[in-house]
Amino acid sequence: MTIRRIAYRLVIVFAAAILQVVVINQIPLPGGHPDLLVLVVVAIALASGPERGAMFGFFAGFVADVLPPAGHIAGRLAFAYTLVGYLAGLLDDPEETSVFTTILVVAAGSATVVLVYSGIGALLGDVRITAHSTIHSLIPTVVYDVVLAPFVVPLVSAVARRLEPAGSR
Amino acid sequence: MRNSRRGRLVLTILLLAAFTLITVDYRSGTLNGVRNVAEDVFGPIEDLVSDVTHPIGSWFSSVGHLGSYKHENQDLKNQIAALQSQLHLSALERSELAQEQKILHLASVAQFRVVAAQVTAIGGGFGTDQTATLNRGSANGIRVNQTVINADGLVGRTITVGRNTSTILLGDDPTFAVGARLSAQQPELGNVQGGGPNKAMTLTLYNTTTKLSVGEDLVTAGDPLYHDQPFVPEVPIGQITSVVPAHLGLSQTALVKPFVDFSAIDIVAIVVNAPKTVKHDSLLPHAPTPAPTVTVTVTTTPGAPGQSSPPPGTTSSTPPASRSSSTSSSP
Repeated sequence: MTIRRIAYRLVIVFAAAILQVVVINQIPLPGGHPDLLVLVVVAIALASGPERGAMFGFFAGFVADVLPPAGHIAGRLAFAYTLVGYLAGLLDDPEETSVFTTILVVAAGSATVVLVYSGIGALLGDVRITAHSTIHSLIPTVVYDVVLAPFVVPLVSAVARRLEPAGSR
Repeated sequence: MRNSRRGRLVLTILLLAAFTLITVDYRSGTLNGVRNVAEDVFGPIEDLVSDVTHPIGSWFSSVGHLGSYKHENQDLKNQIAALQSQLHLSALERSELAQEQKILHLASVAQFRVVAAQVTAIGGGFGTDQTATLNRGSANGIRVNQTVINADGLVGRTITVGRNTSTILLGDDPTFAVGARLSAQQPELGNVQGGGPNKAMTLTLYNTTTKLSVGEDLVTAGDPLYHDQPFVPEVPIGQITSVVPAHLGLSQTALVKPFVDFSAIDIVAIVVNAPKTVKHDSLLPHAPTPAPTVTVTVTTTPGAPGQSSPPPGTTSSTPPASRSSSTSSSP
């Protein structure tokens, strides 16, 4: 069971991270792009709690930090997704999470990721990060994530719950 | 069990680990090794996925860029009419072939030896990283810090090179900088920096006496202004759209509209070898070079496809994707 659970997480992280750069980022959407990984991190955290949410978030963030064509200081996304995985995990629910809660958590989660990622970048003196650029990636990212949330999150969560060993939380 | 002590401990450890990664990578770039491994492992996977999804992406892209596609279609009809009669090509393949031909034409005018490649992946860090992955790597003769061009001009430079794929920094990234030269009439040197997605680039000129004017073209200087970023000379960068009035400063600045549409790059070429000097302004879109000269240059290019004798892996016109390999030998 554990092996299947880990395999599922590996597959879902790599699939989301690769789809993000190969497909999503190449679609010319106005303003920005949805962030598939935050949806996946929130989904797993809602299904399996803060501890595993944080671990999964760290792994997802690290993959996004080094997967080509990433070109920023590594660790920034790992930090942001760890935080979101933990916080979303605090709201975990052994049964189905309501769609309304899911959307709220996704909105808060994707805003947190953008702000933490940009904040660390600003501290490190990343010239790409300005107040203007942060707001311009914050709003579209949150909006697109909220739009995708009702489709992606319940699906990923449901599979994760089925693979979760009973009474492990 | 929620919000347990163990949970908080795990969170603390992971955040510290992430913080350590940031510190290590920031101070020494030690994680470049990890990036190289990721490039070797995931680059080819991205290439595979891209082969499957590329038609979908280019459909979206064509909706977003209908205007330029119409224009492209016209060029296409003129350029590959002969091929059309012999080969059955999809619209996508034809568009790619036309792009590649235009790049090869540009490269042959400048006598650059180039490796054509296709963009497989874009972005990172919410689109704040203006980067892209290409489906060609060190096995094709590509190294770090080489100039990347397309038919319109300067696309960027390579930053991470794996065996079969490589990652490039695009010209609109704010960390991108290139030495630039004004048109041949007043060969002043300056520095052009990326301004972020869909924004103008910025030219900084350290000579305040030179008069900058709107509409002037900029090309890469090619001089070793930046020792770690040796761009090849004469690649078109963009056109000055507005001049910031200089007052009190030691430098003057201007906004530059890049020739390349960074949101729609598809087929590009990495310059693996270039002559020391290239004829001034010969690569600009409205180059003053008379057409017959161009034609002669093209036919006598030593690096032309089919007749080159470089070592294997550094051919001058590697086709960008396997699906067009059968059609992209000499036109």
